[in-house]
Amino acid sequence: MSRDNDDIAGPLGDQLARLFAKTVTREALVAAEHNVFDAALWNEISEIGAALALAAESVGGAGLAWAQADGLLQLLGSQLPPVPLGETMLAAWVLGLAGIEAPAAPLAVAGALLQIDGDGCVSGDDALVSWAPQAQVIVAVAQGAGARQLVLLSTLDAELTPQRTLDRLPAARARFRGARPLQAVAAPAVLGETGLLAPLAVLRALQLAGSLSQVLALCIDYANTRSQFGKTIGKFQAIQHQIAELAELSAAAQVAAGYAARQLDGGDAAAAERGAAVAKIRAAASATRGAAIAHQVFGAIGTTDEHLLHYHTRRLWQWRDEAGSDGWWAERLGRQALAAGAAALWTGITASAP
Amino acid sequence: MSTAFHYPAFEIPRELDGLRREVRAFLAEASQGWSGWDIGHSWTGFDRAFSREVGRRGWIGMTWPRAYGGHERSALERYVVVEEMLAAGAPVGAHWVGDRQSGPLMLRIGSEAQKQRFLPKIASGEAAFCIGLSEPGSGSDLASLRSRATRVDGGWKLNGRKIWTTYASDCDFMIGLFRSQGTAEVDKHKGLSQYLIDLQSSGLEIRPIVDLTGEAHFNEIVFDDVFVPDESLVGRENEGWAQANAELAFERSGPDRYMSSFPLLPLSIDAVHAAGTADRLSARRIGEALADVVTLREMSLSILGQLAAGHMPAQEAALTKDLGTSFEQRLPELVREITDNAPVITEGDTLSEMQAYLVQSVPSYSLRGGTREIMRGIIARGLGLR
Repeated sequence: MSRDNDDIAGPLGDQLARLFAKTVTREALVAAEHNVFDAALWNEISEIGAALALAAESVGGAGLAWAQADGLLQLLGSQLPPVPLGETMLAAWVLGLAGIEAPAAPLAVAGALLQIDGDGCVSGDDALVSWAPQAQVIVAVAQGAGARQLVLLSTLDAELTPQRTLDRLPAARARFRGARPLQAVAAPAVLGETGLLAPLAVLRALQLAGSLSQVLALCIDYANTRSQFGKTIGKFQAIQHQIAELAELSAAAQVAAGYAARQLDGGDAAAAERGAAVAKIRAAASATRGAAIAHQVFGAIGTTDEHLLHYHTRRLWQWRDEAGSDGWWAERLGRQALAAGAAALWTGITASAP
Repeated sequence: MSTAFHYPAFEIPRELDGLRREVRAFLAEASQGWSGWDIGHSWTGFDRAFSREVGRRGWIGMTWPRAYGGHERSALERYVVVEEMLAAGAPVGAHWVGDRQSGPLMLRIGSEAQKQRFLPKIASGEAAFCIGLSEPGSGSDLASLRSRATRVDGGWKLNGRKIWTTYASDCDFMIGLFRSQGTAEVDKHKGLSQYLIDLQSSGLEIRPIVDLTGEAHFNEIVFDDVFVPDESLVGRENEGWAQANAELAFERSGPDRYMSSFPLLPLSIDAVHAAGTADRLSARRIGEALADVVTLREMSLSILGQLAAGHMPAQEAALTKDLGTSFEQRLPELVREITDNAPVITEGDTLSEMQAYLVQSVPSYSLRGGTREIMRGIIARGLGLR
């Protein structure tokens, strides 16, 4: 990663922020919930080159590190563009690590580990693949005899069962029964035994952090505007302290997600998985309490369909359980800590940064 | 996207692993004989012999100039030493305030004579400092303090009372905040000054306050015409409020604001193994705590980086302190959830002793250094509420 890339991340983020501010309207959010793909938005995103931001320069990408794209990925949570940009960026990143140029299309990512047999055919099941109904290609990791393979699968070779979700965005259960991948290569070293689940969890953590920071901004604005008992409710200490707590939760999610992004960049599978666990545990816990605070601050109006708050809180409730819930990751991280023993706890904490 | 807080990443380079191992080796030796009750005290454990030994090894005043007894090492090196001490629950209390607060304050705004006289003594672990802020009538509303400094020939006379001063009866010096001009009602934070006070001064009485653990860490200090000479003024007259507040940013941002109960966590891993209850519940609780530790450490390191770059991240410090102290308060509850230990204090059983001390001690963690309510008020103001 070169110094120059910091100069790319800023303008690219600014461009995207402007694009989202212009295009992510209430109508766009509603349309996406009715399975209408926002092709115009996707084309503009593609023209900017955002889909390939994390992909290596050798495969036509911008070669940004996750840590450099941290703010840009949080935009996906703060501004909620209803397209699979995060998934496509992740897929293009991992394909780039394997020297493969990503197909120029919206891509879906399966977090579950699939199986690949001796003939190179893929089987397995992922109960929830976001955007699968609107993607042509699903990127996945399949466990073979010994090695893990990074595979590109056509959605035409998948048995897709649409799933209803809290965010109401396109998603499906994807079943593969001896599907022949479009491409299969050795999985990059950064992907450990949880395959693509770890980077997908980091993506969701970044989105949660972005959404929480926007929810915080909405709460501050509302508290400084809404008047009761003759003064704005932001003057009441009870409200101030709840919003202060929301700020703490938002900051913790942001820091944990940023930490995980750096671990992915480090390239070590164990550190990357640990980072993903830390980020998903912390961001999901922040989302749970943060959504509750936001609704308490907004009162009844915040629970209406008309109000925009639910586009954030429904995603907070969705994303906190996608790519492994906080409980799931905590159990895995905790079991590893228990297995490593008491003496390894502190040495692990201090040596975890690459 | 603009946010009300910033946490740029800041990492400890691997080159400092050598120093880290050095501190660990020292602590492995020194910790022989520390009980769980002792370890539970963390940075409020007071042991002059220990502090002198730490000073002898060059681990107090690490970043200060050599001319003042310091060692001209980096803020990162200091952080490594400090977090290793906290992870082990070392009794650093005799040099903690001097190293964290009083020394840096003097270095920043003290007179040349003060620096020469006091900094070497802090760095060697000989001089123990305490802070005199709260008063019986002025807790969270510190600006209402009434203890007064009156100009006299060659210095000031101090009158009034300070309270909740940790280890005042064991310390040598206090930096105290007194009203040097105006009145509490009218002038509030204006007209306050900081003085460096020798605790052996005549007219000064220190009364220990026994706390709910049965120990007396806190003290009330009565000043009855205590004379302090001209050269005891710290910084500028009537500028004490701003000076003391800048000091608080340092006090609130360190690893001591999230690690005070940390030694419980490895012990609870041992306890779960011993009881054969490494189940889903214990794994989840330990995993959550580990995620919190890593996140809080990242936040703490980021603030360290900002302070080292000359910034004053008061908002981030308040936010991290509130999160950190909540975590410290969470750990004894985690132990209860995963061990089912009887509420007995068994001598020689490290976990039972530490747990007993911390259950009783953690309520004060969201009081000391500014209460949770004060922290949230600072955060809310920073967010543009009010």
